[in-house]
Amino acid sequence: MSETRAAAEAAPVPAAAPAAPLPKPPSGAPGRRLVDALRHRTVARSWPASLAWLLLAAVVLVALLGPLLVQADPLRQTSAALLTPGSAGHPLGTDDLGRDELARLVHGARPLLLVSFAATALAAGVGTLVGLVAGYAGGMVEQMLMRLVDLALAFPSILLVILLVAAAGPGTVSLILGIGISLAPGLARLARTLTAREAAKDYVVACRLGGTSAPHILLREVLPNIGGPLLAQVVMTLSVAAGFAAGLSYLGLGIQPPQPDWGYMVQAGQEFLFTAPRLVVLPATLTLLFVVACNFVGDDLRDALDPRGTA
Amino acid sequence: MSAGTLIRPRLPRLPRPAWLSGGTAVFLRRLAAIPVVLFALASVVFVAIRLLPGSPATSLAAGGNTASAEEFGANEERITKALGLDQPLLTQYGHFLDDLVHLRLGTSFYGSNSVLGLLGDALPATVELTLAAMTVAVLIGVVTGVVAALRKGSWIDTSTRAVATVSFSLPWFALGVLAIVVFGVWLRWLPVLGRLPSSLDYRPTTGFVLLDAILQDRPELLWPWVQHLILPAITLALSMAGFITRIVRASVLEVLGDDFVRTARMKGLGEGAVVRRHVLRNAWLPIVTVLGLQFGSLLGGSVVTETVFSYPGVGRLLVQGVLQRDYPVVQGAALAIALLFTLVNHAVDLLCTVLDPRLRKG
Repeated sequence: MSETRAAAEAAPVPAAAPAAPLPKPPSGAPGRRLVDALRHRTVARSWPASLAWLLLAAVVLVALLGPLLVQADPLRQTSAALLTPGSAGHPLGTDDLGRDELARLVHGARPLLLVSFAATALAAGVGTLVGLVAGYAGGMVEQMLMRLVDLALAFPSILLVILLVAAAGPGTVSLILGIGISLAPGLARLARTLTAREAAKDYVVACRLGGTSAPHILLREVLPNIGGPLLAQVVMTLSVAAGFAAGLSYLGLGIQPPQPDWGYMVQAGQEFLFTAPRLVVLPATLTLLFVVACNFVGDDLRDALDPRGTA
Repeated sequence: MSAGTLIRPRLPRLPRPAWLSGGTAVFLRRLAAIPVVLFALASVVFVAIRLLPGSPATSLAAGGNTASAEEFGANEERITKALGLDQPLLTQYGHFLDDLVHLRLGTSFYGSNSVLGLLGDALPATVELTLAAMTVAVLIGVVTGVVAALRKGSWIDTSTRAVATVSFSLPWFALGVLAIVVFGVWLRWLPVLGRLPSSLDYRPTTGFVLLDAILQDRPELLWPWVQHLILPAITLALSMAGFITRIVRASVLEVLGDDFVRTARMKGLGEGAVVRRHVLRNAWLPIVTVLGLQFGSLLGGSVVTETVFSYPGVGRLLVQGVLQRDYPVVQGAALAIALLFTLVNHAVDLLCTVLDPRLRKG
C-alpha cells in the first residue's frame, strides 16, 4: 500500500501532459444508486421481499400518521377500565393502568423507528469517516484507528451497547449513541478495505498529482466509487440496529415510561401474562414483524446495490 | 530528493527460528495473545465505566431521590471518596488492575454480596444455557443445511433458506415472550420462569445442575432442569441455527463439487456414507469457525433471553446491575462475559488448527 503511494509520489510528472481528459471514474453517489435501484425496480422482485417492503412501509406509515388518526391519548389513565378486553371505546382494550392499548401501540412505534434509523445513520457516518481516513492515510493513522476497531469488535456488540448506555444513562439519545457507536467498527473495517483498494487506482493517483485536496478526493472521488458495497452493508446494519433497539428498550434502557414503546410494553405486560396475554402478544408480534421485515428489505437492497457481492 | 530515497526495497522477512514455527508454536503464540486481549478488554470496561458522563457517585447519591440538595452534595462527596473516584485516573487504573489480578471484584452496592460470589452462581447457569443453545443450533443447522445442499434448487432448499433468513433475524425478546405465551400460558406444557422450581432444595456444589445431580446423587433434579432449559435454549438457538444452516449449505455445496466426492461415489459408497465420511469431514472447518464467531452473538442474546425468562445468569446480573447503577456488578458481569467470549474464540481458533493441518503454518 504505502509502496504504491511512494512510487506514485516519486514518479516524474510530465510537465506538459497532453490534454487528454483523465479517465472518468464511474459515477453514482450512494443516494443516486438507491434512487436508481428503486426506480428501475431491481428491488422487491420476489414475493417475500415485496411483502417485507409492504410491512416496513406500513410500520413507517403507522408511526408517522397513526398518532394523527387515533384520537385516544396513550398516556391518559382511566381507573374505571383496567385491563379490559376490546370494546367500542378501546378497540384493543386497555392496559393495567387503563390506558388505551391501540393508542399506545400506534405511538409506541416511533421510538423504535427513530432509534433504528438514527443509530444506523450514525454508524454509517462514523464508520465511513473512520474507514475513509484510515484507508487513505495509511501508516500510523491507519494502524491506530484499526486497532481501535479491532478492540471494539472483540466485544460482543450488545455488551458494548449495554456498557455505553449504562454509562450515559437510559434514554433514546444514549440508545442511539450506544447502538450507533457499537455498529460503526464493522462498517469502518469495510470502508477501509474499499478505500485502500480504490486509493491505489490511477484516477486517485492522478487527482493527488493534480493537487486536489485529500477531503475533496475522499468525498468526491473515492466515496462515490465505494458507495455501492458500503451502502449495501449499511442497509444490512439497519436490521441489526432494529433488533438491538427493540431488545434494549425491552430491557428498560430505551425511552422511559410512561412514554409508550413496543419493547418496554412487552416487559411491562409480562406481569399480566396469564390475565391479559394480548398486552405482550401485540407489541411482541409487531416488533418481530418489523425486525424481520427490516432484515428482508436489507437483504433485498444489498442484492440490488451490490450485485457482485464485494461487501 | 531523488526517487531512490523514497522507494525502499522491502526487506525479505527472516525465517522464524525452528522453535517458533510449527504447530506447537502457533498454539503457544495464540495462547499468549489471550492475556493481551483480556487486558485490553478490562481497560475498555474501566474507561466505559469511569470516563463517560453520569458518575456512579452522582447516580448513587440521587438513588434515594428524596434527598435535599445539601444531602445530595454530601452523599456524593462521601461516595466519591469511598469509591476512590477522587484520586487521579492513573492511580485508579492501577488499583483497578491490581484488584482485577487478585480477583477482588468488590461488593454489590445493594446488599453486601461479593461480586465474585454472584458471578460464581451466575456463570454456570449462563454456560449451561449457551451450551444447550449451541447444541440445539448445531443440530438444527447441520441437518437443515445438509438437506438443503443435497436437494439444491428444490422447494425444500428454497423454503429452508427462506426460513433460515427469517429465524436469523428474530429479536430474542419477542421470540422468547411469544414462546412463553404459547407454551407456558396457552398450552401449559413448560415452566416459563427461572432455572429450577423453588420447591426443589438445590444447593450448588459445582453450580452446574447436571454435574451436581450426579455428584449429590439427586436424579430428581434433572427433569425440572431440562424443562426449564428448553424454552430459553431454543429461543437463543433459533437465530443461530439460521446462520449455521446458511454456512453448512454453502460449505457442503462447495465440497460436493470436489473430485474426491465423485471418487467416493464411483467406488460405490452410499450417499449417507459419502456425506458423513467425506463431505461433512471436509466441510467442518468453516462451520467451526462460524460457531466461534457466533458465540459472541449467543452471549449477547443470553443477556436478553435470561431477562425474559428470569433465568439467573450473568446476562440478567448485568442488566440488573445497569438498571440499578450497581457499578461493581456491571463491571464484574461485563468482564465475565468478555472473558468467556475471548476464551471461546481462542479455543475455536485452536480447534481449527487441530482440525485442519493446513492452518498450522504460522
